[in-house]
Amino acid sequence: MSAPALETRGLSRRFGGLEALSDVSLSVEPGTVLGIIGPNGAGKSTLINLVTGHLKPSSGSVCVDGREVTGQRPWVIARAGVARTFQIVKPFRELTVRDNVAIGAMFGPDGAGSVKDAQRRADEVLERVGLAGRGEVPPGELDVADARRLELAKALALGPRLLLLDEVMAGLRGSEIEPALELIRSLRDEGMTIVAVEHIVKVILSVSDEVLVLHEGRELTRGKPAEVVKDERVIEAYLGQRYAKRMAGGNGDA
Amino acid sequence: MATDTQAEKPASAEGPGGARRLGFLSGRAGWAAAAVALLVFIALPTQLYGSQQRTLAAAFMFVALAQGWNLIGGFAGYPSFGNVVFFGLGGYTTAILMAKAGASFYVALPAAALVGLGFAALMGVPVLRLRGHYFAIATLGVAEGMREVVLNLDGLTGGGSGLTVPAVGIEATTSYPGNAGFYYMFLALAVLATAVVLWVSRSRFGYGLRAINQDEDAAAAMGIDTTRAKIGAFALAGVITSLAGAMYAFQQVSIYPARLFDVQFTLLMVVMAVIGGSGTVVGPVLGALGLTFLSEYLRDNLTDYHTLVFGVIIVAAVILLPQGLVRFVQEGWRTRRFSLLDNVRAYRL
Repeated sequence: MSAPALETRGLSRRFGGLEALSDVSLSVEPGTVLGIIGPNGAGKSTLINLVTGHLKPSSGSVCVDGREVTGQRPWVIARAGVARTFQIVKPFRELTVRDNVAIGAMFGPDGAGSVKDAQRRADEVLERVGLAGRGEVPPGELDVADARRLELAKALALGPRLLLLDEVMAGLRGSEIEPALELIRSLRDEGMTIVAVEHIVKVILSVSDEVLVLHEGRELTRGKPAEVVKDERVIEAYLGQRYAKRMAGGNGDA
Repeated sequence: MATDTQAEKPASAEGPGGARRLGFLSGRAGWAAAAVALLVFIALPTQLYGSQQRTLAAAFMFVALAQGWNLIGGFAGYPSFGNVVFFGLGGYTTAILMAKAGASFYVALPAAALVGLGFAALMGVPVLRLRGHYFAIATLGVAEGMREVVLNLDGLTGGGSGLTVPAVGIEATTSYPGNAGFYYMFLALAVLATAVVLWVSRSRFGYGLRAINQDEDAAAAMGIDTTRAKIGAFALAGVITSLAGAMYAFQQVSIYPARLFDVQFTLLMVVMAVIGGSGTVVGPVLGALGLTFLSEYLRDNLTDYHTLVFGVIIVAAVILLPQGLVRFVQEGWRTRRFSLLDNVRAYRL
């Protein structure tokens, strides 16, 4: 049995008096998708920031592929094969879309190639996320959906083994969601481990192997998607009664 | 549209930065222009008076200073207001080694570079943790503080009355190069500094710095060791700037703290890089040459008001060309529109 792709033990982070995240322990098997849901302020983004080193934990530990990376700087963790997207997209505004993505190819775990090689690899990634032909454009000219795709492309260009997605589908229209889900599934099928924070419950349920529900910084429950949505506490804290009724009514639309 | 792609073809063939970023003064036309300019500058001194050689030497020195600032302020986006500290340290290292240790200038020069490198790396560790205004203020503070330190170490530095570099007679360790000699020395430094910036702009290192400039958290998430990259940029700036200080100290012969740690050097190098185009290769060259000549012209023709007029022109340039001359021309070249009013609107100044 190989080590979990991601494992946290008793992970906590306080901001002054506020417990943004307390005592979260989780373990994600390689090649699976963990979905994280929860209301605003539940600690979802904090969890991602703790894993990627953008925040340092107050206590607890983070292991990636069995290697402890607790409190390491973000680039050390990135080079260990962990890529992420940001909830508020962070393009490098004065670089072209291609160069934005090429940065990941240059500095990722198996980077260090020439700038030209990185740009070639960037074009492949752009094609994969559906941004083929937009390489020369400045990121400011992309619409919301394409900006999300760029954010994802930047992360993929790193060639990660573990991919953390922070609401990468926010702002996508209905017709744009299915191709995005398809992409996530195909990445998982290639062996990538994915942790996806998402607000759209339908999205998370359809793609996750397991779901973690956070509430006020704590784990409320975790399990198979179908079990989690039936959990009384989850309905109470997050989904709401109306959602539960609709689910009970037999149609899966949220 | 057809002319557009034609005009950008050589650029995409030339540089890895992508045709949209380059296009102007890149590709073969850019290299040809640079080669011609360099040949003219090499041939020129025989046609010039000593005072004109000195003005050009100063212009070349400012090219180097502006390029040094460009690395940390333009590429990495850390607006240093204390680069004069490297200038002063380079100058004092040279003067002390030549006056007190009897060293040759050609020994003192690399020593000055090492001091600039070491101090930039040392100072970078704490101050590069600060961002934006805080970084600017901290660097300004270090430079001002260093001037006081040098002032008070009078056993070594001669305090407020300064040091005299032995330049003539039997005490001279290196024969004084004269106006033409310093002209070529500063020209070589300007070329070296610009070559370093050109290399950076095309390297992984340079892409990393640009990423840091635009979003440091995202840059770190992409695997860029932001601490190392920033200190690297600062150290390169330190080397270039301290080399300029070393040459300046030798050229001036007598140096004192108020002269070598003059905050005006910092201001001029920032303004030159920004007006020419910070984060570009050519911008700081144009900014430094242009503003040095403008300043000289005003001094000759407006004895009483030249500083005031110079200041007004700088303010106007910053308002009308906030992105710098090079980017303004690049964008105009791409969109076929050159309008300063549009420009002001686009950058919402």
